[in-house]
Amino acid sequence: MVDVEPIQNQLVCLGLNYRTTPVEVRERVAFPESKVPEAVQEVRALPGFEESVVLSTCNRVEIYSTHTHADAQQAQGELVKYVIRRFDLAPEQAEALVTYDLHAGEAARHLFRVVSGLDSMVLGETEIFGQVKAAYQVALAAGTTSRTLNKLFQQAFSVGKKVRNETTIQRGSTSVGSVAVDLAEKVHDLKECRVMLIGAGEMSRTCAQSLLSRGAKSIIVSNRSHDRAVELATEMGGTALKFDEWEAAMHEVDVIISSTSAPHFVIKPEQIQHVMKKRRWEPLLIIDIAVPRDVDPAVNGIEGVYLYDIDALQAIADSGRKEREKQLYACEQIIESQLTKYGFVE
Amino acid sequence: MPLDRQLLLLSTLAFLIGVVPAARALFSGHWRPSRQWIPMLIGFILQTGAVYDRGQAVGQCPMKSLSDILVFIAWSIVLLYFLVGPPYRVSLLGIFTAPLVTAMQGLAFVIPDAFPDYAAKSKIDPYVELHAALALVAYAAFALACITGVMYLLQERFLKKHHIGGLFYQLPPIQGLAKAIQKLVYLGLLLLSFSLLVSFKLNTPISNPKLIFAWAVWVLYALIGVIMWRQVLSPRQTAWLAAVGFVIPFISLWLMTTHG
Repeated sequence: MVDVEPIQNQLVCLGLNYRTTPVEVRERVAFPESKVPEAVQEVRALPGFEESVVLSTCNRVEIYSTHTHADAQQAQGELVKYVIRRFDLAPEQAEALVTYDLHAGEAARHLFRVVSGLDSMVLGETEIFGQVKAAYQVALAAGTTSRTLNKLFQQAFSVGKKVRNETTIQRGSTSVGSVAVDLAEKVHDLKECRVMLIGAGEMSRTCAQSLLSRGAKSIIVSNRSHDRAVELATEMGGTALKFDEWEAAMHEVDVIISSTSAPHFVIKPEQIQHVMKKRRWEPLLIIDIAVPRDVDPAVNGIEGVYLYDIDALQAIADSGRKEREKQLYACEQIIESQLTKYGFVE
Repeated sequence: MPLDRQLLLLSTLAFLIGVVPAARALFSGHWRPSRQWIPMLIGFILQTGAVYDRGQAVGQCPMKSLSDILVFIAWSIVLLYFLVGPPYRVSLLGIFTAPLVTAMQGLAFVIPDAFPDYAAKSKIDPYVELHAALALVAYAAFALACITGVMYLLQERFLKKHHIGGLFYQLPPIQGLAKAIQKLVYLGLLLLSFSLLVSFKLNTPISNPKLIFAWAVWVLYALIGVIMWRQVLSPRQTAWLAAVGFVIPFISLWLMTTHG
C-alpha cells in the first residue's frame, strides 16, 4: 500500500494539444528544444511555484508543476499569464488560447495517459514515451524537479511500460507507411533491404521515408520527370534512374513501391517472372499505391512475390487501428488501478 | 520411480508450462520471449540431469531403447534450440520446439517396455557411442529444420494471403527462416556424415538394418542439401521438404530400435 500524500493536491498541469488548439496557435506557443531548460527555470521562479517540467512536442505543450497557492485555480491562472507573457500573445490570441487545467489526481491521470500513448493523435504510438522522458531529464538536469514531480514521473514511466507490456496497444500498423515497413520487415532483413520507387507521388515518398527511417539500405527513384526523380533521390539520399531504365534494375531491389499515373498495368507477370529468375528465389515485396493500379494482380501468384495494393494496405491499417481501439479499455483499467495504487484516487 | 524418470517428468512439465501459457499469450498478442525462454531453460537443466543419471544407471550413453533415443533427441533439440535460436533471431522457435519435445518425452514414458534396464557393457566401444551420439544430434538438427520449415510456411502464407495479425508480428522474416532451414539441414548432414564415417572404425559391428537406415536418412538429406545449394526449388518448396522430410528419420528411429 502506498501512502497518500497531501502534497499531490499541489500538483497542477496546464496544457494544450492537437484536440484543443489548432496548429497555427500550437506552433506559436511551442517551446523550441533549446529553450526548454530556460522555460522550466522561469516556471519555477513564478511566485508560489516549486517544481516544473515542460513537455513541448508538435502535438502538445504541457507544463507540470507543484505550487503553494491556496487553490489550484490561482496557480493555473499564473501559468496561463506566464504563457501569454512568454510568447508575447496579442489580446485576441490570448483570448483564443484554449487550455486544459488539471490538478492533483486529474493531472496524474492525464500524464499516465500521455506516457501510454492514449492521448496521442496515433493511438498507442510509442514516440511520446521518449519525449516525456526527455522533457523530464531536461527538468531534472536543470534542478527544477523535486520529490513530487520526481515521484510522479517515475510512476508515469512505470505505468507506461505496464500498459505496453500487458496490452497490445502499440502493436500493428495504423498508417499505410507503417504497414509498408511491417511488411518489408517480415520479408527481408531491413538493413539489407534495397528499395525502388517507380513514380514519385507523395504517398510513395512517405512509404520510402518510413522504410529508410527504419534502416533500409538504399533507395532508387525512377519517375517520368527525371528532374523530379533526381530531386526526390537527393532528398532521401538515394539514386535517380531514368524512367526507361527501371525495368532493367528491378532484380536488384527487394521492395518496389509503385505509384505512377499510368492508366494501365506497368508491371506485368511476365516481367516479374523474368526478374525472379535473376533473383534466384530471393523474395520480392511489391507495394502498389497507384489508382488505377500499376501492377497486374496476377503477379501475387508468382512464387516468392508478395503484392499489396492500396486497398490491402488500407485494410491492414484500419484493422490495426481497430485492434488498438479494442485495447483502450484494458489500458484505462491499468491506469485507474495504478492511480489507486499510488494514492491519486481512492 | 528412479531419479532419472523423476527428473524427466519434471522437465516434461517445465516444457509443458512453457508451451501452454506462451501459446495462449502469443495468439492473444501479449507474448514475450522471456515467458518461454525461462521454462525452456529449467526444462533443459532437468532434462540434462535425467540423461546424465540414466547414463550412470545403464553404464553407457543411454541410446539403446526407443524411449532413451527419444529422450536423447529431445535433449539435443533443446540444446540446438539454445545454440541456433538467438543467432538466427528465431526465439519463437521455442513455441514450436516445446510441444515437439513434450510429445517426444511423453511418448518415451508411455511406449511399451519404456526405459528397460539393459546391463552395463563390460567394455564400451567409444566409436559406437560417438557414432550413435552424433547421429542423434544430427536428427535433432533435422527436427529443428522441420520446425523452422513449419514457421516459414506459416509466415509465407500470411504474407501471400494478406493475413496480417497476431502470429505474423511474432514470426521472423521469411528470408531469415529460409537461411536457418538451410543451415540446420547442412549442420545435420555434417553431423550425420561424421557419424557414418565413425561407423567405419567400429570394433563392435552394429547391425546392418541400423546402418542401412542411417545411410537412407543421409541420402535423403544429402539430396535435400543439394537441392537447397543448387537452388533447384523455391524456398517454400524446400521448407516443405524440410518439414515433411523429418518423417523419414523419425520412422527410421522406430525401425532401428525394433530391428536391434
